[in-house]
Amino acid sequence: MASTPILTLAGAEKLLKSLEEFLDKSESMFAMVIDRGGTILSQTGRPPESADIVVLAALAAGSFAATRELATRVGESEFNALYQQGSHFHILMSAADDDTMLVAIFGTQTTVGLVRFYAARTADHIAIQMNELRAAVHDAPPIFTEEDLNATGQVFENTPPKV
Amino acid sequence: MAIINYANKEVQFKIVYYGPALCGKTTNLAYVHSQIAESNKGELVSLATAADRTLFFDFLPLNAIVIRNFKTKFQLYTVPGQVIYNATRQLVLRSVDAIVFVADSQWDKMEENIESFRNLEENLARQGLSLDTIPYLLQFNKRDMPNVAPPHYLDFLLNDRAVRVPSFEACATTGQGVFDTLNTISRLLLVKFAREAEAAAVRSRPSGSPIAGLAAGLRQPQPNR
Repeated sequence: MASTPILTLAGAEKLLKSLEEFLDKSESMFAMVIDRGGTILSQTGRPPESADIVVLAALAAGSFAATRELATRVGESEFNALYQQGSHFHILMSAADDDTMLVAIFGTQTTVGLVRFYAARTADHIAIQMNELRAAVHDAPPIFTEEDLNATGQVFENTPPKV
Repeated sequence: MAIINYANKEVQFKIVYYGPALCGKTTNLAYVHSQIAESNKGELVSLATAADRTLFFDFLPLNAIVIRNFKTKFQLYTVPGQVIYNATRQLVLRSVDAIVFVADSQWDKMEENIESFRNLEENLARQGLSLDTIPYLLQFNKRDMPNVAPPHYLDFLLNDRAVRVPSFEACATTGQGVFDTLNTISRLLLVKFAREAEAAAVRSRPSGSPIAGLAAGLRQPQPNR
């Protein structure tokens, strides 16, 4: 398992640029890069109304992992993409590397072939960028210390909503 | 491992609630969801069967404290407890940062608790992880039931390791112990994260540095209680 990347400002900008280029060329509505745990690393575009992208990311990661496992169990070692066809919106998930994937949501204004084509190219770029980000992990300064933590209160406040 | 995003100034962690079937993992998340302010929580998503048993996972994203201008975010997951869903449990454990093991306190559930705990160890090992390195704690749930084992017996069964972890009595349906559990596991996780980052920073300094000795201190195992 590769180490988890730290998103530096420059790294985040590069990822975003790749996504924006993908969105533009594939004519998708929304795209995001997520890790296999379901965490969003970068995103751009406009998701379908009422869609919570944090939830979308968690479900996409779970769905992709489950289908890949399914493929493995029937003896299929090759599994790079998953496509969900809907009546208004379609979802394409493409593996960038073992730990990262590209999720694209698109409507009827484009075709799955076009999205697939650019998704594969973008996934390759993302894989390279993720390797660079992982290499930078060791140079990152601590963002907070144990002393900072000791100065804080509870991590979560139990504040029931007012009825 | 946590994800640090310097662009958004946030750090994200994944906590998984693990335990035998019907021990109250989903109830823990539902209670947390009901008590957290609207602005600090996302949607509670449950992928469940028609009989409301967890099929894949429950998922609850939460915003927590801000430390040094970095927002901390936690994603809480549950696994399906039923034995047949082991492949799914392995998937949910991916990229896990910390674990809450929820045990059912009822006497007739002891075997299931032990089985589930062993299953957790096996599934972590498949990912190259271990309870010796990952923050975790125990929650003894369903203390409101009439036929429950005493906490020291549950500790004897599940917490008899070189380093004993914190354990909490709970009744997730009323909320007793739910936030104690969540706050403690979150803090354990944040402390581990801070220590590792500090140790890494010290390691990357020249060996003659006056604070190089700090790294050794940070690597010492710390008793949890």
